[in-house]
Amino acid sequence: MITSIAWKNVWRNKTRSLTVIAAVTVGVFAGVFSMAAINSSIVQRIDAAVNEELSHIQVNNKEFRSSGDLLDYISGPGAVISRLEQTEGVTDVTGRVIVRGMASTSAGSSAVEITGINIEKELGMFTLSRRLIPGTGSYFGADTRLNSVFIGEKLARELNIIRYILTPESFQKLTAESVPASVTEKLKEIEGVRFTTEKKLTKALTGILQAKEMKSYGLTIKEAAWSYREGSKIILNFLDVSGNQTGAAFRISGIYRTNNDLYEALSVFVPEAELRELTGLNEGQYHRIIAKLADNDLTGSVTPVIRESLPGLEVLSWKEIQTDLAMITDYINQIYGVFMAIILAGLAFGIVNTMLMSVLERTRELGMLSAIGMNRRRIFVMIMLESIFLSIVGGLAGMTVSAVVIGITGKTGINLVKYAEGMEAFGYSANLYPTIGADFFIILTVMIVITGILSAIYPARKALQLNPVEALRGE
Amino acid sequence: MKVVEINDVCKTYHDTEVEVKAVDGVTLSFEKGDFAVIVGPSGSGKTTLLNLIGGLDHPTAGEIIVAGHRLSELKPSQLIDFRMEHVGFVFQSYNLIPVLTAAENVEFIMNLQRWPKEKRKARTDEMLQSVGLSDRHKSRPSQLSGGQQQRVAVARALAPRPEFILADEPTANLDTKSAETLLDIMEKLNREEQMTFIFSTHDVRVMKRARRVITLEDGKVVSDIRTNHNS
Repeated sequence: MITSIAWKNVWRNKTRSLTVIAAVTVGVFAGVFSMAAINSSIVQRIDAAVNEELSHIQVNNKEFRSSGDLLDYISGPGAVISRLEQTEGVTDVTGRVIVRGMASTSAGSSAVEITGINIEKELGMFTLSRRLIPGTGSYFGADTRLNSVFIGEKLARELNIIRYILTPESFQKLTAESVPASVTEKLKEIEGVRFTTEKKLTKALTGILQAKEMKSYGLTIKEAAWSYREGSKIILNFLDVSGNQTGAAFRISGIYRTNNDLYEALSVFVPEAELRELTGLNEGQYHRIIAKLADNDLTGSVTPVIRESLPGLEVLSWKEIQTDLAMITDYINQIYGVFMAIILAGLAFGIVNTMLMSVLERTRELGMLSAIGMNRRRIFVMIMLESIFLSIVGGLAGMTVSAVVIGITGKTGINLVKYAEGMEAFGYSANLYPTIGADFFIILTVMIVITGILSAIYPARKALQLNPVEALRGE
Repeated sequence: MKVVEINDVCKTYHDTEVEVKAVDGVTLSFEKGDFAVIVGPSGSGKTTLLNLIGGLDHPTAGEIIVAGHRLSELKPSQLIDFRMEHVGFVFQSYNLIPVLTAAENVEFIMNLQRWPKEKRKARTDEMLQSVGLSDRHKSRPSQLSGGQQQRVAVARALAPRPEFILADEPTANLDTKSAETLLDIMEKLNREEQMTFIFSTHDVRVMKRARRVITLEDGKVVSDIRTNHNS
């Protein structure tokens, strides 16, 4: 009966209750959706770090990471690989040959880390091949001739391999992307002009377009002008095992684009056999052996097991290599906590205010209830329930809206193109696919109920202080 | 059989700088089946006396015994239970619970007393029929006239069969016809259920029906007259 009265009391003043519910809904939605967006950014970054850059666990010669010396390779790599493969939770293992060197073209040069990979094995373990920019090659495909290299877009820009030319095809793309004719007309002025850097193109565009047009269509125009001559070559120079300078011309078999500018600028991949031949490293000599796990959550438990079984080697999890990312991952729960506290504090203030108004408006009625025998416990419970109902209805509405919006944007994505440059400099994607775990919703529901209870205490105590005689006198 | 005994009861308020004796040495008793009214000018202490009898307020001096309970010995929580078990209240402004229907309002106290559902429903039907509202079970207070609301309030007060009913100016807000109907109902219930009614009123219509008229002035009983009204 108390429950039924409390529920009906919530709807006595529909406008007020709906206003509070709407406020709670918007608050919960704003909090949950922001959290989902932040979470997605981190999840995507971790996914990229593990599946494109680092793998879950890396085993190195203890000196290699600091020295970078070609001769600091792993002794007895066969036993290490076999030990890793036998470890529970490990699904894939492969070795890498790594040398530091310079990549150059006639237009520029850049320091790089050249990784010799087992292409077949890496294809099964990593998703970097999926980052291939269409039209730039085939990730060491069958048509690739000897001495092929897979490089990042950032490096390609630095080496001036990428050019910007507005061709008739570019204009078709711009029309398809709904760039207005008034803008494409202006662009005709630079049709066919070859810009060696993005900066030069930007300068030219700034000269012919208005600031507003540049802001709206600049990125689309640059994308359309992006041009690459397939089969371009770069020179890779490095030392061999004897310490002699060596190198070769490598034909670009593909250019990859990730969200990590630094990785794109530094990491180039070549077939393991080619690097061995040029450096003089023997078959089976690896600088790094990497292992993938069945689940990212196993990283914390499997790493120490491997470390214990390989005492002479440096065993590192991705969290230990990318400490900044690990720190963000670890702090995400605290960020969740802060967000939840903010949401719930807003919720609490709204409910205290509403319930207090509701109690003060019902002074006479509450006094009458006490007069006819409704004891203090029942009155207290009734006010508590009213507050809990308000919180739950608002909270559930907020979570439903959040779930729907997260569901939709999780599929369509949110393109923060304006901030792409900044985000990608730190390895984060500008395309967010909001996602959040069911556990967050469960915890939030419990927290909302607790907030409802806590916020009702003060109004409920006020209700208990009412004197039935005062109520009767009030008549 | 005595239902209420009031022995030399005083109630003094110190709300202002002046001490006000709202009830001053009142000694009275009420028998089962009484149909009594307390009358007197405004400020004579009628409502205060009713509050004291109903356990809503504590006397400054003296003793009140209701159905064997010395009210001064009861703790506040026990007083609430006492009111629920032994006293039926009818207020001037009806004071029904606006979110409940007429039937739910009548059931309310029985619900607090944890009556079994079937028994509760049967008693509710019986009471609504007694007050002539058997067709308004599902009406909310806002859908009823003042007279009808007061009849529901009477039904609610009587339904759990309390020791007595305290009715503070129950007809003050009613037109003549509604007031007469209400009084007819209360007289009938008094007769049929041997229910004790204690009214405070200014209303001559109520006084005319009463079988006992107690007059208060300045907190003191100045007359206590039993009449021969036998409706």
